[in-house]
This record gives sequence, C-alpha cells and structure tokens, in this order.
Amino acid sequence: MLHKNPSLRLVIIFFLLFPLLSGCWDSQEIEQRATILAIGIDPASNKEENQQSEGGITHLDKNIGEPNEELIKVTAQIAVPGRIPLGPTQGQSSHNSVLIVQVVGHTIQDAMLNLQQQVAYETFLGHLRIIVLNEKIAKKGTQRFNDFLRRNPQIRRTASLAVSKEPAEDYMRLVPELQRIPSLYLADMVDNLSALGRFPPSFIGLFWTILSSKGQDPYLPYLTIKDKKSIQLSGLAYFRGDRMAGKTSPLEIGFYMAIRGIGRGGYSAFIKVPGKEEFVMVKAISRKTKVKVKLIDGKPHVDIKVRYESEIEEKTSQSIYINDSTIIGKIQKETSNEVEKSLKKFIAKTQKAESDIFGFGEHVRAKYPKYWIKEIGTKENWKRVYKDITYDVHVDTRIHRVGMKAK
Amino acid sequence: MENHREITTVQAATILISTIIGVGVLPLPLFAVRGGGSGAPLVTLAGIILAAIGLFILTILGTRYPQKTIITYGEDIVGKWIGKMCSMIVIFFFFILSALAAREFGEVVVSAVLRETPLEVTVFVMLLIACLSVRYNINTFAYIHNFYVPAILGPVLIIVAFSLKNANPLYLRPLIENDFYYMAKGMLTISALFQGSFIVTMIIPFMKNPKKAIKASFWGIFISGGVYLLIVIATIAVFGTEEIKQIFWPTLELARTTALPGNILQRLDVIFLAVWVTAVFTTLFSSYYFTIYSIKQMAKLKDHRMLSFFMMPFVFFLAMLPQNILQLYDVIQIAGRAGLLITILYPAMLLVIDLVRGRRRRKKSVAQES
Repeated sequence: MLHKNPSLRLVIIFFLLFPLLSGCWDSQEIEQRATILAIGIDPASNKEENQQSEGGITHLDKNIGEPNEELIKVTAQIAVPGRIPLGPTQGQSSHNSVLIVQVVGHTIQDAMLNLQQQVAYETFLGHLRIIVLNEKIAKKGTQRFNDFLRRNPQIRRTASLAVSKEPAEDYMRLVPELQRIPSLYLADMVDNLSALGRFPPSFIGLFWTILSSKGQDPYLPYLTIKDKKSIQLSGLAYFRGDRMAGKTSPLEIGFYMAIRGIGRGGYSAFIKVPGKEEFVMVKAISRKTKVKVKLIDGKPHVDIKVRYESEIEEKTSQSIYINDSTIIGKIQKETSNEVEKSLKKFIAKTQKAESDIFGFGEHVRAKYPKYWIKEIGTKENWKRVYKDITYDVHVDTRIHRVGMKAK
Repeated sequence: MENHREITTVQAATILISTIIGVGVLPLPLFAVRGGGSGAPLVTLAGIILAAIGLFILTILGTRYPQKTIITYGEDIVGKWIGKMCSMIVIFFFFILSALAAREFGEVVVSAVLRETPLEVTVFVMLLIACLSVRYNINTFAYIHNFYVPAILGPVLIIVAFSLKNANPLYLRPLIENDFYYMAKGMLTISALFQGSFIVTMIIPFMKNPKKAIKASFWGIFISGGVYLLIVIATIAVFGTEEIKQIFWPTLELARTTALPGNILQRLDVIFLAVWVTAVFTTLFSSYYFTIYSIKQMAKLKDHRMLSFFMMPFVFFLAMLPQNILQLYDVIQIAGRAGLLITILYPAMLLVIDLVRGRRRRKKSVAQES
C-alpha cells in the first residue's frame, strides 16, 4: 500500500515528525531560569537557628532526627534575566542586575532546596563562578560541601573557591565599581590574579585533586574587604586535610609559588642595599625551581633550589647609584639571602601547622614507593612525618635589567 | 554466495578503531586506577597487548578461511553441532554487549546532560538509529565508520593535549603500585573494552585483499590502544589516582576541566559529548551489525534486514534490566571479563585445532603421494 501511494507516505511521515516539534525534555527558557552566579557560605548565627528559618523542607519527620552538621547560611547571587548587559551601556547601576537570596540549611543541597522554595524559577548552577567560604566554616572542614559539588553535574570544575575573612555574605552584597556584575568581578579577581602571577592556579577541581592526593594539602585564596568597598587578595589559606590551618601574608604567596616552581613571577620586595640604609624594589620576573627529595637515614630530606630572574623596579633614594655591575651583584646576593631566610621561615610555619601545601609528600610517594608503603601509607601519617622533615633551601637571584633609567 | 570484495585495508583499520573506541572511554581511567593505582598506564598497556593477541588470533584464522566468518568456519573446524553451539554463545554475547552499550550510554546522558529526559527515550533513540543503519549492506557499514573516525580521534587528541596544562607528572609515579592480583584483574577489564575488535571476522570476507587483514588489525589496535593509553595517562596526570577513584567518568571530567586557551571554550565537555555520542553509535552499530549478521549466517537466511527490527525490542528489554548504575557497572565488568573466554579463548582454541588438523592433512597428502 505504502509503495503505491507516495502521498500517504508523506502524511505518515508528517505525523511521525509532529511530536518532535515540542523540542526536548530538558528545554528550558533562559528567562525561566534562576542562574546562580556566586555562593557565599557562612555559619548560621544562633538567632537564625532559633527562628527556624531553616524551614524543615527536606526533613521527613522530626522524630527521625536531623543531620548533625551545624547549620550554614548560604547567600546566593542570582542573575536577573535580561538585566545582565552584554555590551557597554552607560549610567546603569549594577544594583539590579543580580538578586541576593539568603537561606539556611544543614548542607548545601538542603540550603539550595530551601532557596528553591523562595524562587519561582528553577535554580541553575551551570554558571556558578565562585564559592566563598567564610574562614570559620573553612576551619571546621570543607569536606561536607565537596560531596554535593562533586555529585552535581552542573557545577564546573573550573569554578573558583575562596576563603574570606569577613562573612561571605558581605562579598555577595558588595558592589564593585569595575564590573557590572559583582560576582563576575569576584571570580575574575581570583582567575586573573593567577594569570598575573600573583596567585598559584586555583580552582575547585584542583582543590579536590590536591585534597584527594595523599602527599599534599590544598590551598585557597584568602580574601579580605578593604574600606567596605574593594576586595583584596591578602594571602593564601593553607589547609590541613580539609580544614583551614592558617593564612599567609601576600608576599608569602610569592614564596609559595617559588617553592612550587610556578614559573610566572609577580611579587616584588624591598631589599636593603648592602652598606646603606636605603632600599630597592626587586621584582621576580620568573623562577625556576628544582625540588629533590632524598632519604637520609630513613627520613625524607628536601632539597630546594630556586633560581630567580629579577628586575629592579624602583629605588627609594637618590643617594644610591645603580650604575655598575658590582652593586647589582651585591643586591643579588642580598636578595638571595633574604629570600632564602624567608622561604625557610615559611616552610617552618607550614610544618608547625602540619600542612604540606608544597606537595613534598607526593615526591616521596612517587620516588620512594617502598618507604611510603612501609612507613607512611596514609595522609594522616604523612602529616606527622612532614612536621619533622629536614630541608635545604638555595636561592640564586639574577638581575639582568634595571629598567629604562641609567643610574 | 559471491562476496563483493570492496573493503580496503584502510577501511578495515578505521572500522576497528571506531568500533573499539566507544562507551568504554568514560570509565576507562577508573577501571585502570582501580586495577593498578598509579601503575594504571602499565595495566592499560597489558590490557591492550592481551586484546591485540586475541585480535591477531582471530585475524590469522580469518586469513586461513578468507571466504568465511567465525560463525561458518567454526562449524568447519569443530564440527557442525559444537560449532553451532559456540556460535550461538558468541552471538548472544554480542547481543548482550549491544544492550549494555546502549544502557551505559543512556545512563551517562541522563546523569550528566539531559537530566529530565527519561532513560528509556535516550536508549531507544540510540537503538533506533543503530537499527536503521544496520539495514544497509556491509560497504555502507564501512563507509559510515570511515567517515566518523577523524571526528572521533581529532577532538579526543585535542582534549588530551590541552588538559596536560594542568598535569602533574608526579601522579604517574611509582610505575607499579598495587599487587599483581588487582593488576591482572584490571588488565582483563581493560582488554574487555577492546572486544569490539571481534568485528574483524565479519570484515575479512569482504576485504579486497584478505591477506592484508593483519596489517589492518595492527593499525586498528595500535591507534585505538594508543588513544586509550593517552587518555589514561592524561587523566591520571591531571587528577591523580586518589581523585579518579572518586569520579565515575574521569574522561568526561577531564573534558570538563580543560579549557581552550583564550577563553574560546571554557570547558570542552560539549565537544567531547558530541564526539562521544558518535563513538558510542559506531560501537553499538558494529556490535549490533555483528549480532544480526551472524544470526543471518547461522540460520542461513538470505537477507539480514528484517532481523534488525525484529531483534530490537529484545535488546531494549535487556538494556533495561540492570536495576541501577552501580549494578550496571558490575554487570559490565563481569560480562566483559567473562567475554574474554569467548573473544580470545574460543578463537585460540579454533586456531589450535585448525593448525593440528592442517598438519595432519598435509601429512596425509604427503603419505598419499609417496
């Protein structure tokens, strides 16, 4: 029948294709979506707990009991559809481009579901750029958040994670002048700073990778707010396992990058000119690092060699002359000594916190597998060993250029 | 029946490559790391070598009987009834393999991309496409594979290359970590991912020059094995063994972590999934084609087309059987390892019997002459 009647065939094909017009199951209009751009996580204060603003949306029965985790307060920045300008527009304030919603929950997903109850559109995490953890939360452990973030297919592994001194809530509400969308500024802050050589690469996937590895502890950018207005990268938060153990000064980020061997330099430091009371500013352009781990008397010993390519950026006084290579040589030597001392101090600091952010443990695991299996084996054991390992640091600075000025 | 010998050596190699690279690429690093820890590349290499041995046995058998497939020469070698029984097991195994591939595809799509779309729909659509394509003859089959291979290999290599930006070579050491029991188990699981190469037995009778089948097999397994090895090395270098153990589909995660420089694409999983759907299709296509074509040969039918739609509901039903994703992966690993008996041991047995008989035959003819 079908072979004889081509028009009948057409009609049948027409009806077969008809259901396809409705599109796919997962179609969702972009303005029907609550796109979450940033999340801030704080501990819930007692008042809020009492108020039971948590809502109990995810609890089957009060008698079964609740998860033991402390309540957290989640502040989310949601993009308002249509308000995110694409090109340069003038005179529009950024206040309306995002909506800020605050919820309380036992876990992130619990809070997200509570948030969903407050928002008419389906929340979407595919564009989540940054998660800010308050210092207090980070000190109690981040592992409780990782499960949800790993399991959810929408979360990008390239999203950023940062620790904040002030309540994370403040970061969500902050309105920076440089970018129209506050959370994008925040995310760019972390991303671009690592491109500028001011922070080692840091994104959530890397954080997890390091957290999972047995011989290394993770690190995150540590943010503070200056003058209630601008955000400052004021250090590196180092972790002991999944708990934040402490933070460094901004310059120590540079030391960290030196030991890790991250090539792109960016930090400068005042170096005292030998024999004078004046200083010059020396900037690290690039570094080359060799880390060697040896076993000495059955104990790991780390040998670090850093070679800096530097440049003189500024001098503080007219009384110093940078016009011959002997003075450069002296400054080189002085810089090397100063940096060497600082590096040692920095390593000692992390040893005290039992936080091996440099990944010396990975070197031991990779190069001395027998020793590792016999003596260490677990992440906890490595921390104990790391506390007492010995190390040598050699710094070699080379200053090749002094800028455009001749003296 | 006179075969149209039209498939070239290159085509045969591309059929092998695109058949082998399939759903397996996603959990591959996880299987490898579970087997060998940071020794996973070694485990993968061992798996590839084992698979290559199986493939070469089959190819040698094929060149000894250039007109026939394993279904028909199996009967010649071990006798009609045993041969038929073994063929039935082979067919049934590829029937299961098709179903599992379709289901695994559906699971990934539902949990990673199209969260609202019912599993049944994705699986059904995939099977439908395979069914429609199976209705054409073997030359079309060769063309389809040939056409898709560059589209599969290119993006995978790009992803591997760009992902190495985040790599930490320390994660790849030490080379041997686990004990040999787990490594052997991992090796079997990985070589089971290469079972699609069985298709070579079906291609040889259609090749212009069946003697070159060995060359085709070599390139087929060399390229696909190389890609698999690269993927394992790249994922371990980027994630480290401990993190991989936490991820279901490390290769997909690798694509999600990798960005093209200059913010052209911030994550490559879109490209990867598009490629991967093609790869799954070609794999499913091959195993389904093999199933259908072998049934046709065994039942001595004239045409395989009508079987295509007849078998589809059964494959679909089988694909829906596993209760959840964890059970599915248990079944995949067990079926894969058990399948090695069929895809490697059975051809090896046939080859041994055939060689012994061949020698006896020669002796007899020598005796007769003198």
